[in-house]
Amino acid sequence: MAPLEDELRSALRRRDPSPDFTERVLARVAAAPARRARQPWVRWVAAMAATLLLAAGGLEYRHYQGERAKDQVLLAVRIAGSKLNKAQKKVQMLTHRSNS
Amino acid sequence: MPRRPPATACGWDFASLVRQHQAMVFSIAWHLLRDRAVAEELAQDVFLSLHQHQAELESPEHVQFWLRRVTTNRALDVARRRLRRPMVSLENAPEPVAVTSTGDPLLGTALRKLVAALPEKARAIVVLRYQEDLDPAEIARVLGIPVGTVKSQLQRALALLREKLSRVVGQASGLSPGKE
Repeated sequence: MAPLEDELRSALRRRDPSPDFTERVLARVAAAPARRARQPWVRWVAAMAATLLLAAGGLEYRHYQGERAKDQVLLAVRIAGSKLNKAQKKVQMLTHRSNS
Repeated sequence: MPRRPPATACGWDFASLVRQHQAMVFSIAWHLLRDRAVAEELAQDVFLSLHQHQAELESPEHVQFWLRRVTTNRALDVARRRLRRPMVSLENAPEPVAVTSTGDPLLGTALRKLVAALPEKARAIVVLRYQEDLDPAEIARVLGIPVGTVKSQLQRALALLREKLSRVVGQASGLSPGKE
């Protein structure tokens, strides 16, 4: 018996598909919708757009945070102002009472 | 007016590319799946995919490597999906047809059946080794596995095939007209 490896080479040799194989492949290629090759510049433009979008989003967020901080400071000032007014009125009332 | 065949990135027309590689692609699929209709369908899908990816392929060697890799991977996927169906291992597989002499075409059939009963990865390694005549390093690149794995699986597959085949041949040589 020939060595196993030779027998395998013989048993597993290449075979041809059906005679009309090429034609069937070409027919399927012709019927398939055209797939546009992705150009390298498309990736660059997409990357740039994504970067710009992220930067704009970041700026907007910072602006929003600044506005929120400003509102909080104003509210704190208003609260402090009203408390001061109340304290001042109390002091005035007490001063007036002790004088009279 | 005849339609002009689509050109490839390598400068060939697609039809000659198909003609050049169809036996390779079909045979890998057929030896891995043992189903002519499924193998032809898979081979067509591979060439359709080649047509879509041809701009990415740089040389004839790249095309050949790509075809081997894609065909093997797709055939392995199909084989794995078939695993859900009941299947016997090589050890438990029924003996193929008895072989009466060396050089008998039945020996080839018996060997192909034994190869088909190997686990998928080992089957792919054997097919790429003996159909495509690739060395273990090339097989490792096609399958994306370490060279050591290719070598060990190949050794194990050959040992199993040798054992099974010797049983088949022994069975055949034990047969005599008087015993039948």
